Amino acid sequence: MRIPGYLFFLGGTLAALGAGWAGFPHVIYESRPQPVDFSHKVHAEKAGAKCEDCHSFRDDGTFAGVPALDKCSGCHAAPMGTTPAEKNFIDGYVTPNRQPQWAVYARQPENVYFSHITHVKLGGMKCEVCHGDEGATDTLRPYQQDRISGYSRDIWGTAAAKGMKMDDCVDCHRKHGFEHSCLDCHK
Amino acid sequence: MQTTRRNLFKFLGGSAVGVMFTPAPWRLITDTALWSENWPGIPRPVRGEIKTRYTTCALCPAGCAVRARLVGEQPVALMGVPAHPLSLGALCPFGLTGHHLPYHPERLKQGPAHEAAGAVANAIAQCGPNERIAVLDLRPGRTASWTYRRAMAAVKNGVYLTAPRPLGGAAVNLAAARTVLSIGVPLLEGWGTPGNVLAARAGFRLIQAEPFESRTAALADLWLRINPGSGRSLALGLTAQLEGKAMPAQAAAETGLTESQIADLAADLAHNGPALVLAGEDVPEVAPLNRLTGAWGKALIARAEAPVPDSWKKAAPPAGLASVPDGSIRALLIDESVPGDYIPWNAIAPKLVPDNPVVVAFAWSRNGYGRHAQFTLPTAVYPEMTGDAPAATDSPAAAFRISTPLVPAPAGMVDPAAFIAGAAGMDASSALRERADAIHKTGRGTLFTCADAKSTPVKEVKPEDFWKALNEGGCWVDAAGKPSAPVEETGWQAKTPAPQEASDLPLLVALTDLPGATGLISPLMSKLYQESNLRLGPNRAALNPASAAACGVSEGAHAVLQTRLGERPIQVTVSASVPPGVVEVGASPEILDICGAFSRARVAQS
Repeated sequence: MRIPGYLFFLGGTLAALGAGWAGFPHVIYESRPQPVDFSHKVHAEKAGAKCEDCHSFRDDGTFAGVPALDKCSGCHAAPMGTTPAEKNFIDGYVTPNRQPQWAVYARQPENVYFSHITHVKLGGMKCEVCHGDEGATDTLRPYQQDRISGYSRDIWGTAAAKGMKMDDCVDCHRKHGFEHSCLDCHK
Repeated sequence: MQTTRRNLFKFLGGSAVGVMFTPAPWRLITDTALWSENWPGIPRPVRGEIKTRYTTCALCPAGCAVRARLVGEQPVALMGVPAHPLSLGALCPFGLTGHHLPYHPERLKQGPAHEAAGAVANAIAQCGPNERIAVLDLRPGRTASWTYRRAMAAVKNGVYLTAPRPLGGAAVNLAAARTVLSIGVPLLEGWGTPGNVLAARAGFRLIQAEPFESRTAALADLWLRINPGSGRSLALGLTAQLEGKAMPAQAAAETGLTESQIADLAADLAHNGPALVLAGEDVPEVAPLNRLTGAWGKALIARAEAPVPDSWKKAAPPAGLASVPDGSIRALLIDESVPGDYIPWNAIAPKLVPDNPVVVAFAWSRNGYGRHAQFTLPTAVYPEMTGDAPAATDSPAAAFRISTPLVPAPAGMVDPAAFIAGAAGMDASSALRERADAIHKTGRGTLFTCADAKSTPVKEVKPEDFWKALNEGGCWVDAAGKPSAPVEETGWQAKTPAPQEASDLPLLVALTDLPGATGLISPLMSKLYQESNLRLGPNRAALNPASAAACGVSEGAHAVLQTRLGERPIQVTVSASVPPGVVEVGASPEILDICGAFSRARVAQS
């Protein structure tokens, strides 16, 4: 059987399109799990914790980010429940006093200056505007990192979570009339 | 199915076309660009615990209080301390960027310390009866200065040299003045303590007499444009007017003002007193003028130095360079580790012995005296260094504060005080502590602590707590006494002769930006100090368009500034704000070595 030559061309095109759209996003990112299986939902619903209880501002206005171990140890010096996740956390981190190496989804690159207090206190923005429903999730999704640039998938790329990319920042600044210059964020 | 090479190429061609319609190639381009921003060797901001530490700025004699924000152990931002009794929360642009200085590209990293110590020891041993061993201190009044004085008292024929003190050592109380006449003093651009000047500014009327519209002139209530180098004539005219005598004929002619303008100015000073008159060292008539305007003993007052241990008082007295005979200095040790008044090398060189003098410069870079010294030894820079700051010119009371390091000094740095004390066989390693104890022993004054912004009487503080507080940015301020008139010093002598006409040197030199002359400013302050001409950078010269045309130079041209003492390459800026016949030069040690203020010069094409 003789196959027309244009079908080879078409096959190559389709193969490239498939690889580029379906395969490439899987290849470009490497995934790694978070060190602890943490449930925001349990802490929010059962413990009644609010975002700012753990992700707080320091006295000088800077944002503390992900809480250090001593914040967790205040409640979890001994198990409060029966879940394996809590037991693993206490055995692996609290008892040996070892800081969990959290991978921060929202970590911006070094060339970006972002002030939480400006947006939260002055701008009155809710955490969910940028972080989505992270505070209601029952488990932490794997951290995905661009293999070449090293950036978190949440802040870079077409499939990134809504709210963390530069385009999202620009859109919001434009919408609220705060689009002044590149130097607003890129110091 | 038959796979031929032709079909394979068709498949590959189709793939190439198809891939262009996917995000892959475009994403790889941007990702690679981002990756290149994170190559090894590219500096990254440190991450760590946010801390606050307090210290004292050592970049100028103001000694402003500094609150440093550190990430881990790395200072990332410097700011003022709002409630501080002396600096009142302000910090100048130099101070705000002081944490960049340890990374200055022109910084010296190593020097021949052992060889220098040997050469100095030999010079001391071989010093003849008519020869001197001298220390030149560019910022007197520090505890290190006392160490130099004690060391020079301990060695044979030791001399302690300083630049003439501003206002002859008198203190200025701006808050007591209702009118300030500034004859060329950059009152609003780095003079005194920035916070204190700004706080007092609302309480006095400022009259600026200056040839150029400097920042101070622009912000003054009145700017009197006088001819360059005519400050003495203005002072003489005002003095005569206030004494009711006939105004000297040359006063109006030399200043470029009318007689009625000078008379009105004198009346203004007389009716709106106390009227403080400030001027540079080229106007010695400022002392009698302040007596006539009522500022003497009120706005211009005597101030004691912070106490020192009794055992230090057998120290060599401060002396001016003029008091040393020519050809007599066998060894000269110059401390330029902190910026101070640069004394031109042409004034120093004749004082050295003609045969193999030993000159040691303690410096952060080789741009200053290091160009002339036999040995240049690297020193720690602020904020790596430990040292104290005496009271600033505009502080009515004595003060003592310590500049404690925010970052450790790199290995190989030389402490000038330890070096000079060692050469004299002394140990001065605990001098700061001894002085702090001597101050505490008097029981006078108050201690301000930065962390809680409280002032506590020294009597209520234990010696250990006093020392600890000083090392944490605290400040001792002497008790306010009754203001008294300063003792007039002989240092109030005109050191700059009146400019003489010279046909071969048609231009008059006006120096600008003297505070930045030593160059110890953040290398990142490039927009203001290096790239733009908002302030003339080092080795930049500005000419009036007419003068530039007469010299045959144009905007941006590389030219040569020639004086009687030599020549230096410059780059020309043409500006209508410069009066005709004047060349305005950004001061730098190289420029200061060949010309003082208002010396004669010419600009020639290079």
